[in-house]
Amino acid sequence: MISPLTTRGFFLLIGGIFLFTWFGLVVLPWSYLGHLAPIQEEGSSDITPWDAPGTAHQGEHIYAAEGCVYCHTQQVRPASSGADIIRGWGTAKDDSDDKAPPIVRRTYPRDYIWQGQVFLGNSREGADLSNVAERFTDAASLYRYLYDPYILNPHSSMPAYHFLFIERKISGLPSQDALALIGDDAPPAGYEIVPTDEAKSLVAYLLSLKKNYHLPDEKGPVPATPATPQP
Amino acid sequence: MATSPPTIATQGYASTDPELAAIDSSVRWPVMACFLTAVHWMVVGTFFLVYASSLSHPQDTFPILGLFVSLSDNFSMFTYGRIWPAAIDALVYGWATTGGLGLAIWILARTSHVPVRSPATLLTAVVFWNLGIAVGLIGIFLGDSNSVEMLEFPSYAAWTLWLAYALFALWAVVTWLSRRPGHDHVAQSWLLVALFSFPWLFGGGSVLLDGKPLAGSGVVQELISAWYVHGLYTLWFAPLGLALLYYLIPKMSGLPIRYGTKTQVAFWTWIIFAPWTAVHDLVGGPFPAETVSTGLILSGLIFLPVALIGMSLVGTAFEAEKKHGSHGGIVFPFLTLSAACFVLAGIAEQILSIRSANELLRFTMFRECNLFLWLYGFFSFGLMGGIYYIVPRLLDFSWRSATLIRAHYYASLYGILLVIAMVGFGGFMQGLALENPDPQVTIDIADQNALNFHIASTLCVSLIALGSGVFALHLGWMLLNWVNIRVRANRLASEILHEPYEPEGPAAAVKKEVGA
Repeated sequence: MISPLTTRGFFLLIGGIFLFTWFGLVVLPWSYLGHLAPIQEEGSSDITPWDAPGTAHQGEHIYAAEGCVYCHTQQVRPASSGADIIRGWGTAKDDSDDKAPPIVRRTYPRDYIWQGQVFLGNSREGADLSNVAERFTDAASLYRYLYDPYILNPHSSMPAYHFLFIERKISGLPSQDALALIGDDAPPAGYEIVPTDEAKSLVAYLLSLKKNYHLPDEKGPVPATPATPQP
Repeated sequence: MATSPPTIATQGYASTDPELAAIDSSVRWPVMACFLTAVHWMVVGTFFLVYASSLSHPQDTFPILGLFVSLSDNFSMFTYGRIWPAAIDALVYGWATTGGLGLAIWILARTSHVPVRSPATLLTAVVFWNLGIAVGLIGIFLGDSNSVEMLEFPSYAAWTLWLAYALFALWAVVTWLSRRPGHDHVAQSWLLVALFSFPWLFGGGSVLLDGKPLAGSGVVQELISAWYVHGLYTLWFAPLGLALLYYLIPKMSGLPIRYGTKTQVAFWTWIIFAPWTAVHDLVGGPFPAETVSTGLILSGLIFLPVALIGMSLVGTAFEAEKKHGSHGGIVFPFLTLSAACFVLAGIAEQILSIRSANELLRFTMFRECNLFLWLYGFFSFGLMGGIYYIVPRLLDFSWRSATLIRAHYYASLYGILLVIAMVGFGGFMQGLALENPDPQVTIDIADQNALNFHIASTLCVSLIALGSGVFALHLGWMLLNWVNIRVRANRLASEILHEPYEPEGPAAAVKKEVGA
């Protein structure tokens, strides 16, 4: 045993150091960030940020199962830290006002309050997805990208996700969701390629990823407001 | 024919100290079970890693890649996002942790000078531990992963692992508590910290992040995840590996640890500062600025323990190599490399604790460099050296071929050191593009910069896989030979024992008649 400490002293000290680390790294930040409420403007019933639809929440599970987080981040660092803003990952169109300049900002803890599971990520083999719904505005283009990334980007190192789609015989009218594919990817005549439920919820999730609103946090720390009970 | 009673002579590999030999034989099967399954997971994990790593290339780099890519495109099991975590988890839990448990019980029993009572308990724990890993990996392949780094195993597997671990660690601590008075060793403190931290980390991480995520907590999940991953490096792998080095380096070289009086300072400063390396994953992210700043200062202070431990262990190892010549033997260089990689890992952490360097390297391959330094560099070299040293003592039987050990050594040496260099330098090149202030530079350019390093690292990981294959086959060969010789020795023993009772001459004829 190290040192003149008794066994009990040794374990107490080790336990104390662990508690100190746990408190500093997790408990203290948790007390600031654990129960952030959305912002409600006075005289309005709108809250910011707004929750995503249920299918998007189901999509989180597909995002987790397929391990998207191992190549994609969902966090935009401030302009003072890294080049995320320069890469355009923090840019979103302001929906509330067509003439307003685009919103360019970092992400704040409040941006993530509605997500069941948060995927900030630690690797950027692929682009940041904080505002992916600004770059892919419709489901069809996302389906096509997931089915075969090389069509849109020949340099892509992203794997194709054929297994999120099924090829089936067209009976009657072609499906609305059927992918418009050409060349090698096109299905044989009389067949169509359609997304599975997993693909649909994953795309719903991706389409919910945009930070096209301002937060008061941009002007500095927001004083803690009494948390409203969240559904 | 000889009629002297047979004695099963020892092969001369067991400890000559009868007390240590008794301890070794008490832990023989649990430790062997740990090592055998660990080596199995090392092979599995490294092959997964080769596959995962090769998926990041353009399709025409290698001939077999077409097959890999079409598997990945068409079957969810083979997609990168499932294979990569499966590979890392197989290595972290299957290889490193299982092997580490074997090391822990062996060192604890030996330094405490007591044989382990009822080793079947430990064996049961090892069986369930491995079951948990297998179930967890299947869970990841079937899409049950929750994508929380290093906690991807679904909760049912995590619980099995936790309980199996608790049983094992409890037994280890019981052994330590019944230690003979006066037998204290610095390795014990490191082992106790490791045995104590793992259930805390794994239990806390699993309960808070597995299964249903914490509602309304948002980014707190990522704080816990960072605490867990870096806790695993600094409070589980580091203490386990250091315990092995503090025990084996003096034992194998016959030299005392240099600067032995500084060991205490190194120990306490390490466990205070090292877990704060967690904030390296938080810089610039949506977290309180004061947490990150405090953490960077505290984690920056790990240069203290790293320097002290490096001077002690690397210093002693180099001195031993000089004293004994030819790098101190066949097995000793594994330990030297492990000690050197500990210092390198400390330097990598140190680099990440500098804010501007962290901003450059934050999202690049450099993170893999950090992981590989801990897992492959520091811990695997130590564990491999440990297995080479311990197994002959447990079985009283030698390794079959020095050439195979050398082949494994050189494959690991070049594979591991080069992969670390490749992902480290590749991360730097990738970072230069990713964080370029010129808006024209896109992420595709960063990927192009990284590409050749990805290809190089696939080749290096293949070399590691080759080495671990040699290692596994050698271990299997040794075990088969051992079983074979034991069976033959037993047969011989029974033949000799029966001989005097075998009637000869007329009596034999009588016996035959009676028998018929």
